[in-house]
Amino acid sequence: MRLMLGGYAQGKLRCLFRREKAEHCMVFEGRLPSPEELQKALLQDKTVVINRLHRWIRERLTDGGDPEEELFAFLERCPDCVLIGDEIGNGIVPVDAFEREYRERTGRLLEELAYRAKEVELILCGISRRIK
Amino acid sequence: MTALVIGGSGSGKSAWAEDFLCRRCGKRQKYYIATMQVFGEEGQKKVERHRRMREGKGFLTIEQPLDIERAAAGLRREDAPGRAALLECVSNLAANEMFGEEGEIPCERVVERIVRGIGELERQFSLLVIVTNNVFEDGILYGASTLRYMEALGQINERLAKEAELVTEVSAGIPLVWKGAAQ
Repeated sequence: MRLMLGGYAQGKLRCLFRREKAEHCMVFEGRLPSPEELQKALLQDKTVVINRLHRWIRERLTDGGDPEEELFAFLERCPDCVLIGDEIGNGIVPVDAFEREYRERTGRLLEELAYRAKEVELILCGISRRIK
Repeated sequence: MTALVIGGSGSGKSAWAEDFLCRRCGKRQKYYIATMQVFGEEGQKKVERHRRMREGKGFLTIEQPLDIERAAAGLRREDAPGRAALLECVSNLAANEMFGEEGEIPCERVVERIVRGIGELERQFSLLVIVTNNVFEDGILYGASTLRYMEALGQINERLAKEAELVTEVSAGIPLVWKGAAQ
């Protein structure tokens, strides 16, 4: 698994497409693929890309899901995917408890993903810096 | 050469950018291109104070909150080798262009206008140091209009970074270079 992180609107997906042709990727926006979609992607030898991972985490938390468990289970089925997420923790700690939990859980999950990832890169102003 | 300097508020990006320009400019005339829109007497006073401070350091100030290409309108292009400018900052400029009197301007138009305008400045100043703001990492779900503004600023930063020889982040006054070399 490869992990790409950076702030909002920093050109993370464009950065990926410069290396890996867009038509070789199957991009899922803020969600994980269904089993059928995943099977199709793997059969067609496409790179599975989860864009806006932070939005998916947020949605799972809102719905009372378990994003950590669900994502790790997904990674077992799709170990060669690309995960793209926003840096969301560089702001004032929010007053709202849910907002705090969202940042904390996302941060911790990214930490674990970075640990498991083959490659980790940061993107700023469309420039990629490999940090692992 | 063009340098893009990015940082959060209070990161020391402005001071670093000014210092970098002074180290690199040699005998060139220094210009400060200010993009902040001034409101009221208090704002005016603040601007006057900054202007005097920079005059002491040999800067000439150009106020250009909109139509950034016009900042160099009164200057002769053949004198560009003798001029250096610090442009501060792109985030103000983008907000001024996007949220004008006639309502919100679409993201793509703001991006094109500013990228083209700054391209013109690059031909007018042989050393151009551009300061921009990192407003992208707080995870807040802003309203649609603010998100469009952030999208525009992100795209402008990306386009400027592509052309710049130096791209550096500044954190606590210390440069973290993303492209090129700061020395």
